[in-house]
Amino acid sequence: MPTFSNPAVATAFRDPTGSFAGTDVRIALPLTRNLLNEVLAARPSGTPITELYIDPEAGNQFRVHLAANAPVVGRVTRRITLVPGPAVTFPAQPWLQFAITDGLKFFDKPLINLVQGQVERRLPKGVDVSSSRIRIHVPALMTHLGYQAFVPLLHKIQITSEANRLQLHLHLLAAPERSEHPRPPLTP
Amino acid sequence: MHPVLKHLLDTEFSDLAGSSIEGQFAITDELVNLGLHDLIAKLTQPSAPSTAPAAPAVPKTSTTELPDPKVLLQHVKIEHVKYRTEAGRTILELKAGL
Repeated sequence: MPTFSNPAVATAFRDPTGSFAGTDVRIALPLTRNLLNEVLAARPSGTPITELYIDPEAGNQFRVHLAANAPVVGRVTRRITLVPGPAVTFPAQPWLQFAITDGLKFFDKPLINLVQGQVERRLPKGVDVSSSRIRIHVPALMTHLGYQAFVPLLHKIQITSEANRLQLHLHLLAAPERSEHPRPPLTP
Repeated sequence: MHPVLKHLLDTEFSDLAGSSIEGQFAITDELVNLGLHDLIAKLTQPSAPSTAPAAPAVPKTSTTELPDPKVLLQHVKIEHVKYRTEAGRTILELKAGL
């Protein structure tokens, strides 16, 4: 976890659930195709993944165009269809998941291994790629980044797809603490 | 500047149109008091002795290329802001969007 010399900030980072008790905020963040592809274009250069584009579609699915130089099979291009999974809730459902419904076949194992290797080498722990899904263990990722204490604040995270953009829905919730001096009942 | 941030600035944050935030932020009295103590400590700190050589001019932060927050803020539409307090905490209700 980052360290802070300011005592207020240090306290907030040590105990965000207590410090922000009573907070209840919903954030909706649309991520347009343009923006997502700017983010993907800013990935490190010189990797075997030569092309990577995303195309959000209506009906809660999006496509990823991927070109890579895979071992043995050489250059491969794939257009993969992904469907966002259910909302992340804590602690019941920690995985931010995307099912791969089309575009990858059994013989794409070298390609999957390649992507998996890139993910393991370049991305923090908690990201998991297979032939049927991509999933991110959100608490593990946040712990890796040093924000473990903030995990209980993430009441709900959900990504949905619509034409030309993904929608990120985030609900931050810190339950109000029980009062040490409960109010007396109003009626005698 | 990070290419993604540059893109956002170049397009005047139009890619984030439709963003919204709604709800209440609460912070405890303890946190407010810690902040106050820190502020008082900073304000009452003895100033540096005048005999010290003039502090070198603070280097311009242009190298960090931090964008002017006004560029983003002028696109923010605030529908509702309400400040209130409850026993033991300070609350800010907010509803805003881009």
